[in-house]
Amino acid sequence: MIIHEEKCVGCGRCRAYCPAVAIRYDGLKSTIDQDVCYECGTCLRAAHCPVDALADSPHVYEYPRALRKYFSDPVATHALTEIPGRGTEESKSNDVTLRCGPGRVGVAVEVGRPTLGMSLRDVQKITRAIAQAGVHRIEPHNPIHSMIADEATGDLKPELLGERVLSAIIEIQVSRDELPGILRTLREVSREVDSVFCVDVFTVVEPGLKIPEAVLAGIRSEGFTWRPNAKINMGLGRPCKE
Amino acid sequence: MTHSLHREGSPDSLERDFPLFISPASGFNYKGSVPKIRRLVEALYKSGVANLIAMSLRKNSYSGVTPEEVVASITVEGTRVCSVFAGREKITEALTRIRELDEGISIVVSGLIDRVREIAAEVGIEPHMVNLSLGIHGHTDRLPPDGIREFTTMCGHGVVSPNLVLETICRVKTGKVDEWEGSLILAEPCACGIYNPFRSAELLREKAPLYAVDRW
Repeated sequence: MIIHEEKCVGCGRCRAYCPAVAIRYDGLKSTIDQDVCYECGTCLRAAHCPVDALADSPHVYEYPRALRKYFSDPVATHALTEIPGRGTEESKSNDVTLRCGPGRVGVAVEVGRPTLGMSLRDVQKITRAIAQAGVHRIEPHNPIHSMIADEATGDLKPELLGERVLSAIIEIQVSRDELPGILRTLREVSREVDSVFCVDVFTVVEPGLKIPEAVLAGIRSEGFTWRPNAKINMGLGRPCKE
Repeated sequence: MTHSLHREGSPDSLERDFPLFISPASGFNYKGSVPKIRRLVEALYKSGVANLIAMSLRKNSYSGVTPEEVVASITVEGTRVCSVFAGREKITEALTRIRELDEGISIVVSGLIDRVREIAAEVGIEPHMVNLSLGIHGHTDRLPPDGIREFTTMCGHGVVSPNLVLETICRVKTGKVDEWEGSLILAEPCACGIYNPFRSAELLREKAPLYAVDRW
């Protein structure tokens, strides 16, 4: 994002809207720190600049900076997935796609969430740790997959490492037996990353929304707990293929 | 999308907060989905949805857009719809209608697991999958206070900024806006329409006394 200096009247209205705290105000004009800006577009959409000084940067869709836009602007549709958002459909349409079967467990690492964002160098720390734990297949429909240079090591393409994103989701699938190991890996790498991430675990449930005990035992065994609220696929989709 | 499993707050507050998503599956049931999604959206409106955004329009329920305009905007196969309900009765009513419609499109509900289990049993739905939140890890010391995160995590993409929450608390406390007006200010940046303005107004009422502000 940019602020046209010649238009800005220095009202400061836009500052509070920026989740990245990228908008600086010197008392006369507001400016945007291009290194900090995630290109999420929130200021443009919601702050209602009285003089229309806010605008998309002319370079916003140039690679690799475009990744900031794709991963941080909820309105932007990712060029690869053609889905708005940072991940895939993961658990949301599993009743139709059956991508994650009953014996499998999906794990999603929501990097930079909540609010802080993360550099892609830190995302690489997580993808490397996951690869070292023996999981070499990031969900292929996930935009992160296209950023991997080497699945064996989890290395991202080097030209991307200077970029920052408000959020991205690393999605993998493991067997129930492998779940404790991958959670251990995530705990260990959490000490190395320079931001935060949320961890999701998704699984097919038993009748009556009963969560399989084997999955819960795997979570408990590594000292993790789960929140009382969750995202639940209500099972109203019908399996089919176009 | 939406991060709705990580919404923070007390169990009592989460009792009045149920995001609901209409999620067609790319490559599976996009084809012919437009009339189905339209009927589902109409069912949400009839059931008293608290906020809703169709990805075809990207305007929340408080932007001045009418339900008819939202429904008419759904012209592209696979249009996703995100919404939130502010109470158990209304989400139950919505799920009852959706079940009767039987469109075969995936429906996702976020909320307290025990409550969703009860609602599903009441409506006669057998849930398929749960997505559990195992919390936040890493440099959690850099996060805004949990009282602020109760607001910001209602926007899954994290584009409701902590500073906007603080500014809004200040504006409520100094009488520049009331709790409802403040909630609509906070709901606007959320591009998915799952920011719950009713819960947000309750939170503003609850949190505002805790902050000291400069009236001058």
